[in-house]
Amino acid sequence: MSSSLQSTKKFLVFLGKSLYTVLEALVSTIIPKPRKNVAGEIVLITGAGSGLGRLLALQFAHLGSVLVLWDVSKEGNEETCKLAQEAGARRVHAYICDCSQKEEVYRVADQVKKEVGDVSILINNAGIVTGRKFLDCPDELMEKSFDVNFKAHLWTYKAFLPAMIANNHGHLVCISSSAGLIGVNGLADYCASKFAALGFAESMFVETFAQKQRGVKTTIVCPFFIKTGMFEGCTTGCPSLLPILEPEYAVRKIIDAILREKLYLYMPKFLYFLVFLKSFLPLSTGLAIADYLGIFHAMDGFVDQKKQR
Amino acid sequence: MDAMLDTITFLGKFLYYFVESLAYKIIPRGKKNIAGEIVLITGAGSGLGRLLALHFASHGAILVLWDINEEGNMETCRLAKEKGDVKVFVYKCDCSNRLEVYRVADQVRKEVGDVTILINNAGVVTGKLFLNIPDHMVERSFLVNALSHFWTCKTFLPAMIKNNHGHLVCISSVAGLTGTNRLSDYSASKFAAFGLAESLFLELTMRKKTDIKTTIICPYFIKTGMFKGCQTKYPLLLPLLEQEYVAKRVFDAILEEQVYVMIPKFIYFALILKQIISPKMMIALGEYLGADTCMSSFQGRENANELQAETEAPVAQAANVGTE
Repeated sequence: MSSSLQSTKKFLVFLGKSLYTVLEALVSTIIPKPRKNVAGEIVLITGAGSGLGRLLALQFAHLGSVLVLWDVSKEGNEETCKLAQEAGARRVHAYICDCSQKEEVYRVADQVKKEVGDVSILINNAGIVTGRKFLDCPDELMEKSFDVNFKAHLWTYKAFLPAMIANNHGHLVCISSSAGLIGVNGLADYCASKFAALGFAESMFVETFAQKQRGVKTTIVCPFFIKTGMFEGCTTGCPSLLPILEPEYAVRKIIDAILREKLYLYMPKFLYFLVFLKSFLPLSTGLAIADYLGIFHAMDGFVDQKKQR
Repeated sequence: MDAMLDTITFLGKFLYYFVESLAYKIIPRGKKNIAGEIVLITGAGSGLGRLLALHFASHGAILVLWDINEEGNMETCRLAKEKGDVKVFVYKCDCSNRLEVYRVADQVRKEVGDVTILINNAGVVTGKLFLNIPDHMVERSFLVNALSHFWTCKTFLPAMIKNNHGHLVCISSVAGLTGTNRLSDYSASKFAAFGLAESLFLELTMRKKTDIKTTIICPYFIKTGMFKGCQTKYPLLLPLLEQEYVAKRVFDAILEEQVYVMIPKFIYFALILKQIISPKMMIALGEYLGADTCMSSFQGRENANELQAETEAPVAQAANVGTE
């Protein structure tokens, strides 16, 4: 008897929570959450030496945050540092760090903790793409993809999450990709690494939530190709629905998502619909849609930037 | 004009495929004959791997069994031979070690032939909060559950393409579709395995005249030693799955050449739901179904700790090899 009473109680609790979350979601779509103030927050950006990382750094400079810039490239990082200071950042710290090397991540992280303080916003942005077909991609390159795009996240979390939990204050930002939601022809290793990054960030969100560490926020960003040069030569079959994104637009949306503490950000908005369709449409129809959108030939014109340099 | 034509062709295709898939829901698909096929199963020494091996043995396939655990592997071999006149080849292989995978694969090619059905099944689970998992175990999760798929596909796919005949099977997990509490490393690795399998599927589909199939399996927790101690609250909706049931489903899915297989079917619904409802609602649902507390009583395999000691050195070695 008491067990059925317990089940009923549990069910009511569940209904109550569901109702509350539905209302909360409805309210937040009508009244957007206010943007939080990040002045004085210590923001660490990996891959800050170029592309998205640099643009994010400049935005945070405008917002008055303390910047910690990590990149494997000295010139790129120093250039970002200079631009950030010109943009008004008072404290900018630049470190050379190859985030694919676990020991280096831990070593530089210790330096940061000593010289700057506890990182409160961690942006795992560093990423590489090989753009080769699976059988044509050397094993070492595939492992490198993984080490930079995914395993770096493991080590940065390990290094900076404990302090965030102790202070019950922090924000974990994972720059994944639309290729972390849907497999892409010609990007097997990149896809697998971005899927892993997304899965890891999502699991950690659930873990911190379950552990009642509500002060630690998570944002997972899944953009389509952005015009930063990383995916030079890539095309889209349908620029109206699935455009190659302008960097300024992408950065603006990411900053907005971080400041409003959104969990997921897919860019462009059509991606939400696409992923929804993928979840229930039969495979052949899904493939027909992908074909129509030109996704199968998106990587055909890919130009490896590293080779160019 | 071009765009109009494109759109009309697309809508036509869309409608056709939609109706076709509805038809398949009613008319069951044919099952292919796998007698004589060379089936390689990683992690064949126990659990799902063993049961799959027995199914394939009963239907006349040639078995190639890989496992890091020799005893378990030999036992599977023995059980398979009881099914009749079955050819079984047993190899000890630590699939987290790339060079070992390539070496044993060469042996297989010499002693058995070209593998036509590759089942990436080997997997490990740690089951702790992320910050409590030692780094080398996080790496190991990833090496066994995800990177091993890269190496096996790399080594066996070329022959499949040359013979234009083959089937790649990836055992992922529900944790490879949605992030899970206390399974951060496992989840991430299963996401990666899923992403790889899906990308490869698309790459192979894009090659003209390719007859290589892909199957991606995403089961909920299965009652093998792997998830020992896990509990589920509502056995009707989200049961801990019986091994035999899952093995049969997986086997049938391979024979019917299905691409995505979620077990139990409720997972399809949960996935669609995930796209619609907010994350907090998803968590409320997960809490209600006991999916989050499922891992709190996790025990895992008893000999997981011994395996840990055994493989620490090779993992360090593999890590060094990888970064050279």
